[in-house]
Amino acid sequence: MTDSDPLEKSSLILGYMPLSDSLPLLVADAQGYFAAEGLNVELQQEVSWANIRDKVLVGHLDGAQMLAPMLLATHLGLGGLKKAMMAPFAFGLNGNAFTISRSLGQQLEEQASGQSPSGDAIASGKALKKLVQSRRSRGESPLIFATVYPYSIHNLLLRDWLAASGVDPDQDVILVVLPPSQMVDHLSLSHIDGFCAGAPWNSVAIQQEVGECLLTGPDLWHSAPDKVLGLTQEWANTHPNTTQALIRALDKATLWLDDHREAAGALLADAIQIPVAAALPALVGEFVYRPGESQQQQPDMLVFHRSLANYPWQEHGVWFLQQMQRWGWVSSALDCEETIRECYRSDLYQQALQRPALVAEGTRLALDHRDPWQLDGVAMAPTAFSYHR
Amino acid sequence: MAHRESRAKQGSPPPRIMVVDDQAPRAAILQQALSDAGCEVVACLASAQGLMKKVMEHQPDVIIIDIESPDRDMLEHMTVLNQHNPKPVIMFSDEDDPATIEKAVRAGVSAYVVDGLNPARVKSIMDVAVARFREFQALRGELEKTKNQLADRRLLDEAKALLMKQKNMSEEEAYHAMRKMAMDRGQRMVDVAKNIISVMNLLNG
Repeated sequence: MTDSDPLEKSSLILGYMPLSDSLPLLVADAQGYFAAEGLNVELQQEVSWANIRDKVLVGHLDGAQMLAPMLLATHLGLGGLKKAMMAPFAFGLNGNAFTISRSLGQQLEEQASGQSPSGDAIASGKALKKLVQSRRSRGESPLIFATVYPYSIHNLLLRDWLAASGVDPDQDVILVVLPPSQMVDHLSLSHIDGFCAGAPWNSVAIQQEVGECLLTGPDLWHSAPDKVLGLTQEWANTHPNTTQALIRALDKATLWLDDHREAAGALLADAIQIPVAAALPALVGEFVYRPGESQQQQPDMLVFHRSLANYPWQEHGVWFLQQMQRWGWVSSALDCEETIRECYRSDLYQQALQRPALVAEGTRLALDHRDPWQLDGVAMAPTAFSYHR
Repeated sequence: MAHRESRAKQGSPPPRIMVVDDQAPRAAILQQALSDAGCEVVACLASAQGLMKKVMEHQPDVIIIDIESPDRDMLEHMTVLNQHNPKPVIMFSDEDDPATIEKAVRAGVSAYVVDGLNPARVKSIMDVAVARFREFQALRGELEKTKNQLADRRLLDEAKALLMKQKNMSEEEAYHAMRKMAMDRGQRMVDVAKNIISVMNLLNG
């Protein structure tokens, strides 16, 4: 910080949910990156996304880890509360997985001729479609899957994959919402047949042998966007230098996170009260799909910094809005690109990090790279959806 | 439904309220206050388990829920399900009233309101809920104190029982012994009791 750009506010309260991708906040605090920017930040763990949204809106929180689609829904006033929102920084890519009950895993394996389809989005979709049809012909109740919030990557990606597999997400299955930390209990009590939630809750279910992972996030969409730093436009406009300081601190935190996965696991386990062993698989990218199986390398299971993971790509926001339009939650007349230009502030990201030469403003992100690629000299992970051919 | 229609003909039926709160005393206070304010409390749930079914069954106009309940996200999901759900709910019908929302958040209450309910009516219901939640915050402070006193009482009884059993003291002797220790050491009785329990358990462990 220089004398020319003093902070408008130095004591901040930021909210987060007990999830692995709250780590940029936890690390910026623990590693002193907030302090180095002159920020005195209190981190507040919340119990629901609704709570995070409400507290940011009324100013009890200065900002928070937010589901990007929830931020957009709030900006548009879906569900009642409306306030102009913005995201100048993304917390990373991926981290989610679709975990199912052992019994459903068994049934899908039978539908796939005895070969578990886990890890393969197309084979899993085919097996699920056959199972849904056979359950219906036997008069059995629809399968119940839980996600964490209606306006979330979890819900939108699951719905897109179900639809692409020929399973109608509104007619053929029942989709419900549960808090991430309750997923494992509901799965073990057979209230639900599967859930799509962020790390570490999938590994918790697998390690407790309550469930097995059908598909990780990267198995569906190799580099999926998820949480962002959510601010009201009012707050960001009245605290421009503080916003820049936040971006710089979080950028240092994600850079640190890419190289300190084990230490991050210990920090997370302590903050959200889970075993370190459950925090690690997604963080170190050695993921076990099914209890008793060996680890599989999933280096992009949770990306914090590399592949320009913190860049608020317009294409990510537009995909969210288009999906919300597709399901009739947002008017088809909405100009998605225009809305995203208001909310996804890559200009502030560029400005804070003084790296305009890295990616020129206005650079587009193509979502069809099936292999690692280069963007202006930056190594990028694939960006394609595995099940869209 | 027939019931509702007949009341609707009389002009303004009382708003139907569902309370979701795991704090039974607070739920009771709120229920009473809402009834006094002319509302009909159609259901009082301790958790959101089976919430969707209950909403369809009771058809509330307003759902009042503890803002710190992890079940709120489940409730928000219903706002998206409007084509399946006969009662779409929205968060605070009066979106242009940040002061009401701010007060509610501060008091720890949130509400989901069926679209179309008179905003003035919603505001008066929210005012009742906010006032009762605030009252309960103060009450909870008192309850904490009472609970601590009860916990202290239990420790004293436990220490006394240990002395009586292991030192063959009468209840009165045990009590006086503890009081003397407290006075001699300038400690609170409860701290003396804690010492006795840990020492006795150590000796007999």
